Amino acid sequence: MFAAQRGDRDAFKTLFERYHRRAYTLAFGVLRHQDDALDVVQDAFIKAHKYLDKFEGNSSFYTWLYRIVMNLAIDHLRKHRRAKPVELDETRIENDGDDPLLPRILGGNPGRALVDKQIRGRIDQALDELSENHRAVLVMRELEGLSYEDMAQAMSCSKGTIMSRLFHARRNMQKRLLDLIDHPSAELVNDLTGGQVGEDTPANDEALPQRAPARSRS
Amino acid sequence: MSKPSNASSDLELMEHADGETGGQTGDSGVAARIERDSDARAKVAAIQEVGELVRGHLELSADAVHDAKFAAMWRRIDDQLGAPATGLWSRVTGWFDRYRGHVITGAVSAGAVAALALILRPSTPDPGTLGRNGGVIDVRPVALRATPEIDSLDTPGGSSTVINLDDEDGHTTVIWVTPADTVEGI
Repeated sequence: MFAAQRGDRDAFKTLFERYHRRAYTLAFGVLRHQDDALDVVQDAFIKAHKYLDKFEGNSSFYTWLYRIVMNLAIDHLRKHRRAKPVELDETRIENDGDDPLLPRILGGNPGRALVDKQIRGRIDQALDELSENHRAVLVMRELEGLSYEDMAQAMSCSKGTIMSRLFHARRNMQKRLLDLIDHPSAELVNDLTGGQVGEDTPANDEALPQRAPARSRS
Repeated sequence: MSKPSNASSDLELMEHADGETGGQTGDSGVAARIERDSDARAKVAAIQEVGELVRGHLELSADAVHDAKFAAMWRRIDDQLGAPATGLWSRVTGWFDRYRGHVITGAVSAGAVAALALILRPSTPDPGTLGRNGGVIDVRPVALRATPEIDSLDTPGGSSTVINLDDEDGHTTVIWVTPADTVEGI
């Protein structure tokens, strides 16, 4: 990092090689468009290099970089809005009293679930259908583990708005995924159970684990 | 007093799951609820699983991008990061550093040598280029007064182009040498 600050191009390349894919993951999560995400990551590294001398080292280089990526991604969304998202009134979460979080999950093994193309397709669909603000909050939280306060600063809104967006985003993701689970194909059952259910076994809810013990974030 | 809605109490579960309660007094109540209520435990687990699914899915999506795209991205970034100066003067001085020997051996025509003298500007800055604090102001030609004259010139090991131009600093001659082993496009 310090070598890069002194103008060492190879050192900056090392930073690029270390963080470009992570930065891309963040940008892609928010923008949902490969070329746009690549453009944002490229601009972010150029900007990071330009202001490298202003980086004081109080946080990690990546923490600094992701803020640049996030700001550029949000700017990009504002400038290239492809569709007008339907926003819920985010300040009135009490209206959702009849629509709480769902206590069901896919079986407590996300790694296994992600093998299934239908689940990944449904996650894609759910992410696409979220409003840009809801998606940005979900991605910041789940990818980077940002605090509500940090997200509020990044998105220039209140902490309560962030909580509301995150709540809606998670619940909508749950709904989309559980729609799929409620009518599972044999392939899906096989993927989720790791092949423990035979091909002759009819696909039904009983074949799918309903919940798993809570696990701490790694 | 009305009972809190499901969503608002679930919001507390979400805060707890995200570690956002920061030791607030209300958090012990949420923790107790999770302890005794299997439905609350399942919701917390569901929040965590949604997170892992989103994170895993996005990371797999990023992994699917071919390395070549990022390699090309680095080349574009590298091109823009303090790229070697591409101004006229830096190109000329760069050329002179490389081909000084050819010029001295006298293989350049007399006219070109005379022209070359014009580009050997003094190393000490002209008083007019000194800033208030004595720092040197980088002065480069920014506009031409007339269309430059361009001639060809044979030099050892390649071909050259002599460019006579009138810019804001007066008359300047640039000799641009292309070595014979230069292959365009590589």
